Amino acid sequence: MEVYLGIDVGSVTTKLVALDGSNELVTYLYLLTQGKPIKMVQQGLKQIKQQLPKDADICGVATTGSARYLAGVIVGADLVKNEITSHAVAALQYIPEVQTIIEIGGQDSKIIIVREGIVIDFGMNTVCAAGTGSFLDHQALRLDMSIEEFAQRALGSRATVRIAGRCTVFAESDMIHKQQMGHRIEDILYGLCQALVRNYLNNVGLGKDIQPPVVFQGGVAFNQGIVKALQEELNTEIIVPSHHEVMGAIGAALLVHEEMVRNNNGSKFKGFGVSEVKYHTSSFECKTCPNLCEIAQLSLNGQVLARWGGRCDLWERSLSS
Amino acid sequence: MIKVGIPRALLYYQYYPMWKTFFEELGAEVVISPPTTQIMLSSGSSRVVAETCLPVKVFLGHVLSLVGKCDYIFIPAIRSVKKKVYNCSKFLGLPDMTKAVIPESPSILDIDIDVNKRKRDLYQAIYQLGRHFTWNPFKVRQASIAAWQAHLSYIQLMSSHRLTPPQAIERISGTLEANPKAYSTHSTSTQGVIAIIGHPYLLYDEHVNHRLIHRLERFGYKVLTPEMLTTEGLESATARLVGSAYWTYEGEIVGAGGHYLENGADGVIGIMTFGCGPDSLMMDMVRRHAARLRATAFMSLTVEEHTAEAGVVTRLEAFVDMIQRKRRRQVKVCV
Repeated sequence: MEVYLGIDVGSVTTKLVALDGSNELVTYLYLLTQGKPIKMVQQGLKQIKQQLPKDADICGVATTGSARYLAGVIVGADLVKNEITSHAVAALQYIPEVQTIIEIGGQDSKIIIVREGIVIDFGMNTVCAAGTGSFLDHQALRLDMSIEEFAQRALGSRATVRIAGRCTVFAESDMIHKQQMGHRIEDILYGLCQALVRNYLNNVGLGKDIQPPVVFQGGVAFNQGIVKALQEELNTEIIVPSHHEVMGAIGAALLVHEEMVRNNNGSKFKGFGVSEVKYHTSSFECKTCPNLCEIAQLSLNGQVLARWGGRCDLWERSLSS
Repeated sequence: MIKVGIPRALLYYQYYPMWKTFFEELGAEVVISPPTTQIMLSSGSSRVVAETCLPVKVFLGHVLSLVGKCDYIFIPAIRSVKKKVYNCSKFLGLPDMTKAVIPESPSILDIDIDVNKRKRDLYQAIYQLGRHFTWNPFKVRQASIAAWQAHLSYIQLMSSHRLTPPQAIERISGTLEANPKAYSTHSTSTQGVIAIIGHPYLLYDEHVNHRLIHRLERFGYKVLTPEMLTTEGLESATARLVGSAYWTYEGEIVGAGGHYLENGADGVIGIMTFGCGPDSLMMDMVRRHAARLRATAFMSLTVEEHTAEAGVVTRLEAFVDMIQRKRRRQVKVCV
């Protein structure tokens, strides 16, 4: 069976998906990155191998997400793709008539504007991570509830509580203030959802032509409170695809399928064996010029596989020669 | 020989050949600071409050790097170079601010340039500047005429040969032949054309913009910049988009953006610094124009002191993908 793997290593979660030759989802995984991207990619490969049928033949692998270059070297990716393109391609696969894609992940949030199947504009959060998954997680933890419970209870809100959502620091102090004034926790939670949605639309969505159908993907789309708040704010139906949390990985798999068909080369996939190998990472400060770049390197058995982080190509070049 | 230091920052990219000619005609030697590095940026920002804008921090870093290397530092206060159009306040107070925060700076040669005043005042100011080198007003006059000529031919060189300011400066100083790589823009482009707009001190400072031009060229794009347009082309585009702009260099940014959105580019990228008021207004005008036209892709990138390379790289990759996929689709439709 023809299989295309998409691996999305984000700041908070690592996603792996396997698509078959007709782009149907065979299986997928959703893991916490826990600050260990290499280990999670290895573990993910090991796990997904068990979930795949025996006759699975890996015809292409693509990586995406903020650790896409690192993951790409580890697995031997045929394609390393940015998350914006990946998310857009995945959304278009399931909802071809989509015009707006909202994606909120652990550390970043994006908006992608599509017209007639083509991305025409996009935006990403710049200096501010307010309203992303990590902040919601943090608030759930502070209130001693799981993120699932957070979402459920937010839906039980009956009265409006306004929370300042411009900045997470203010949002948190505002929430505490409201809680100490005796507001119901459900109302505060939903107030926070509304604040985050407002912040997202004023920040990432600023100046973007948001038209329905609107698709909402990424881990935060699990949160029904946010979905409801988005629905109210945009006054339109919000479509949450059934595999919204792995859409980035699906997009990467779709793209590598497209790429392999076009190039007709064999996959560079290093095999599931890489999950057993011990990779070593280290870093050093380059002193060649006054920029003092921090160079990170990935090595295997004393041999350096890849280097990143330089402002110039010096270290990448020294590797290839 | 008297050494005059010129910081490779802010207005350097617009006026360097003019300044260099002026001082050299008067018998001085010109010293430029090296390209921006992290150490220069950190040393510059350590002198000012956090809210100061990035380009000024970079500028101060360049001034600091010239300490001990020259007798004078040239920091003009360029208030206005066009009637009723003014510069951002950071240019107005630049010599005074530098004096205040870098007391160890070599003596500052400053000059007020304001074309809204009488012509006589401008000539007087130039003469005052020249007096540091000669008592002979005739020599100062000669030097300023030569400087103006150098400026005109610099601008002409950039628009006629489609050169960026650093390329044109290299060419004028004769170092280009030794380094043919600088011409790579013209040979390797296969994917299309991307125009970049923004202040020259952002577009050509590779440290600040994370090697933007280099990255786009590596993706296979030919890169166009505002300087490659003629002054007339730029002014007519500006007039169409905003009438007249209150801020000098902002008008040029809008004009270049408008021009490239309408013709000659597959995509336009606007670069601005976080917290720059005029930029945020002007870039929005370009963005609105792009939204109205719906023909050319537009993206604005904001840089600041702590901008991580990853953010810039991801956006550039996505932008380039957007152009490529759109084009591939159009080809399919045609077939």
